[in-house]
Amino acid sequence: MQPEKQKTSLIRRVLQSISEAVLIPFLAIVTAVLIGGLIIKVVGGDPFVAYKALLQGAFGSKKAWSETAIWSTPYIFAGLAVALAFRGGLFNIGAEGQLAFGAVFSALIGYALPEWLGFDLPTYIHLPLAILAGALAGGIWAGIVGALKAYTGGHEVINTIMMNYIALNMTSFLVGGVMKDKNPLNVISRTPLIAESARISPIFTGLRIHWGFALALVMAFVVWWLLNKTTLGFEIRTVGLNPDAAKYAGINVKRVIIITMLFSGILAGLAGAIEVTGLNYRHELGFSSGYGYDAIAIALLGKSHPLGVVLASFLFAAMRNGATRMQFMTQLPVDLISMIQALILLFVAADAIVRYIYRIKVKGERVVLTRGWGG
Amino acid sequence: MKKLYFVMALVIIASMMLTACGAPAAPVATEAPAATEAPAMTEAPVAATEAPVATEAPSTDCTSPDVFCVGVVTDVGKVDDKSFNQSAWEGVQKSKDDGVADIIQYIETTDAKDYAKNISQFGDAGYDVIVTVGFGLGEATAAAAALYPDVRFIGVDQFQAADVAGVTGLNFPEDNAGFLVGALAAQMSKSAHIGGVFATDLVPPVWRFGEGYRAGALYINPNIKIDVVYHNDVGFDKTFTDPEWAANAANAMVDGGADVIFAGGGKTGNGAVVAAAQRGIYAIGVDTDQYFTLPEAAPRILSSAMKLIVPGVATLIASAKDGSIKDGNFMGDAGYAPFHDLDGEVSAEVKAKMEEIAAGLLDGSIKTNVAPVKP
Amino acid sequence: MDWKRFGFIALIITALFTAVVMVGQSQQRPLMIITSMLATTIAVATPLTLGALAGVFCERSGVVNIGIEGMMLSSAFFGWFTAMYLFNVYHWSLMACIVTGTIVAIFFGGLMGVLLAWLSVTFKVDQIIGGTVINILAVGLTGFLNRQLFFGKTSLFEGTVPSSPGVFSAIHLPITEIFAPLCKGGNLCLENMSAINRVFDQKPIAWAAIILVFISHYVLFHTRWGLRTRAVGEHPRAADTVGINVERMRYANVIIGGMLAGLAGAYFTIESIPSFEPLMTNGRGFISLAAMIFGNWTPIGAWAAALVFGSSQALQINMQIFRDAIPPQWAFLQQSYVVGLTPYILTMLILTGIIGKTTPPAADGVPYEK
Repeated sequence: MQPEKQKTSLIRRVLQSISEAVLIPFLAIVTAVLIGGLIIKVVGGDPFVAYKALLQGAFGSKKAWSETAIWSTPYIFAGLAVALAFRGGLFNIGAEGQLAFGAVFSALIGYALPEWLGFDLPTYIHLPLAILAGALAGGIWAGIVGALKAYTGGHEVINTIMMNYIALNMTSFLVGGVMKDKNPLNVISRTPLIAESARISPIFTGLRIHWGFALALVMAFVVWWLLNKTTLGFEIRTVGLNPDAAKYAGINVKRVIIITMLFSGILAGLAGAIEVTGLNYRHELGFSSGYGYDAIAIALLGKSHPLGVVLASFLFAAMRNGATRMQFMTQLPVDLISMIQALILLFVAADAIVRYIYRIKVKGERVVLTRGWGG
Repeated sequence: MKKLYFVMALVIIASMMLTACGAPAAPVATEAPAATEAPAMTEAPVAATEAPVATEAPSTDCTSPDVFCVGVVTDVGKVDDKSFNQSAWEGVQKSKDDGVADIIQYIETTDAKDYAKNISQFGDAGYDVIVTVGFGLGEATAAAAALYPDVRFIGVDQFQAADVAGVTGLNFPEDNAGFLVGALAAQMSKSAHIGGVFATDLVPPVWRFGEGYRAGALYINPNIKIDVVYHNDVGFDKTFTDPEWAANAANAMVDGGADVIFAGGGKTGNGAVVAAAQRGIYAIGVDTDQYFTLPEAAPRILSSAMKLIVPGVATLIASAKDGSIKDGNFMGDAGYAPFHDLDGEVSAEVKAKMEEIAAGLLDGSIKTNVAPVKP
Repeated sequence: MDWKRFGFIALIITALFTAVVMVGQSQQRPLMIITSMLATTIAVATPLTLGALAGVFCERSGVVNIGIEGMMLSSAFFGWFTAMYLFNVYHWSLMACIVTGTIVAIFFGGLMGVLLAWLSVTFKVDQIIGGTVINILAVGLTGFLNRQLFFGKTSLFEGTVPSSPGVFSAIHLPITEIFAPLCKGGNLCLENMSAINRVFDQKPIAWAAIILVFISHYVLFHTRWGLRTRAVGEHPRAADTVGINVERMRYANVIIGGMLAGLAGAYFTIESIPSFEPLMTNGRGFISLAAMIFGNWTPIGAWAAALVFGSSQALQINMQIFRDAIPPQWAFLQQSYVVGLTPYILTMLILTGIIGKTTPPAADGVPYEK
């Protein structure tokens, strides 16, 4: 009797948690989409046509799928960056700047290394170097903030905001100056194309989806593994939950803070590096239009869990990608997508509201996502 | 009961939107949305799978030779930017009003990686002319021209170093327009002190306007004091959308004694024009005749350095329709706008001098000596 | 209070001004440079100060507000829209339009505050999420409405951009008039006096921001309300046991914060320039956030921080204006990028070198559960 009961309750609990995990976000998205549809209707559009076009644009063909995956790639990296920092109790608003820095240095190694060396490199050396340069640039950029936090107590929120401005400013300076494509036909601020040997190849011929997307998924797994299966991950989570307790437990909090920011920056830097090596083959000013800020929303939407981040990235990517077709079919402004995204985030993250609307009872513990400004 | 809350919430949002939108919104029955919206979710996904991408045009079939369709792909930015994207779209609208184009449509690019995808939306739908705006789209346009040989591409601000079959670049001598208003400013300034507020010198048209202005002022008065500031201190994404910064910069110049201010660069420039007008000095606008786009500043707008994108685009579309369009470059007109309200303050001498300079620039006897790109 | 910090900030601002004066003195009289820079500093600092005060009120009561940016942006839109609509459709007088617009902006900021409070206090949603939602929503909503209302032939004004009524004009303090006799008719003296006068001729919201700094300081540190607010932010459980209604205090303070952010929004479209552009706040909400932390969650500290940003912005503009006067050995200063970095690097240096650790209210960001 006893084990039997335990078994059924276990199954029920598992079922329950699955339905919880799926149901709430599903209802949240439905609610957001309904409100979005209503807005479309009110401004005189046809929500059926609009959403149909949105879905077509995101998933209507192989090409659409490929483009959605391309959109999701930087989202996954940057989302993981912010999520990892959240888990360590740090708020990395600076993914935008780290991403830009990653892109610049990846492009630099991509086009300039063969010139410096005077000979061409094989792909298996050149490409990893280019990606690594971007990852390290992002990592160091964020690591500085981590070190400042650890040793002087300088607040990471201010410092990442400031480092954002500095990074974007310096990026403009470099890409508009010394790193600018010297080709006389080029008039805008962008680097030369990177060498063939520094490019990530597409997965399928004819589609733009590249192996960087696969790398993003791998990194999501790596982050999950790091957080849940390693001592360091345990330390990061402990510091994230309670730095004082972590200190008494003998964890070197300073070291953990620096490492967390470093890894976070590496992930953000990778987002930039992969955009350069996998897609654009150069860095052009203005390309990173707000990934860093979208990444905050994505990390929150994914509840700072790597799998959640991947799913949230897909959702955002599909909406951004499908928006083009929606606009083509209906001439609705793209800003509508931002509004629906905000509503989805609102309803998914604020599941209390969805529970309130649909009268679903609260089960289980509240998950602590962020700790405000930290101590 | 629980449904009631939900419907109520929807109704409240609907009524908020209705009141906010006023006239244009089609009246919607307040109860209806909740009921009519629901099927959207169930139907849309099904529809997506059955419909292959881009077999249907928004209303009429653009693949038919009788229907002349024109599409615009903007650069990263909005079609209502009161700047070059908007001008290009207005040019297309003009061609529709003139009876040249039957169907017109735009797509706003939200990220550089979407250039090709956005162009192909129009290409796949069988559009006859696709206008791409901005140098950034140059490569994507050339690539698309090979992919869609039947389509005529018009590239605004895309200088064609070598002819690409199917592509016509529409370019403007911005430095001439800047030179003209610089000369005008120098003649109209009583304090021999003028100012210029610009977005970023990394964007060639902005640079040409700014340096043309300097050259024009020095042409009239070699001892004139010219304050020129660029908003380079922020990232590329912010430099065109910061009217408040520009207003402060313009105010600082007025404090320093400048009595004519020329401003260029999207929304940033608009801020300086409006601020200069507020201070009661002469303001000079850019791109279009801003007397019409900035009514707040209109009484003090002396002139505008115009690049006539609207007629340029419309002319090219008309020649695309009658088949007389050629590959390569098409030089659009650039000049200065009429003085409007301030006509009485501009002496006949100044007017004569301006016409003399305009003629000199046209026949090449006066040269601006402005490098096409910041060196 | 913290004299070391304020002394240092004063030193920094002085250094920035001195640098510009040294460069520009060959082209303009130092007094003129200083007064012009002061005017720029105060103008730039106005929205930052108000935004930072918004943050102080929210966070002192224990609610993290990263939605200041979104609150500013949406209030800027609705305030401007109201003023513009009243002016063009009902033909109200200029003053009536812009005053109503300001009130609407404040009201809308308050409304956003209600949203944040509703999410983070009532629903106990993670507070960073509440702010992020507001930020994204504001960008989407204002961009969408701006498009739907003003673009295309079917829109509200047939696709034209209607003229806005205008902006607040500066309040003239009669300094010159009162002290003119002291000059005994000396022209240079009169000129100097009117230059100094110009610094004090600020617009209403700029004045309001400065006054609100001191009001906020008084309210937070010298009234029962402030004591309760801080108690709720530091130790909600203890506050609860002595009978303070934690939820109500948090609601009230977040709404006050929202209204301050709304006033900051009004600055953009009703005081600085009379038009709205999508994304026009351009990250100033985040800078405000930095100013708030920099000022260690105190109104006066936040104001000082905002002034540092303001003066380095003034440095950046003036260095470009005096570009030709920069000596050749300092040629790198002619690069606007280099000068443009000043505020950000300075902030980091000050923060890490001088101030070091800042302490947020203990219960900041933590939902209170009974």
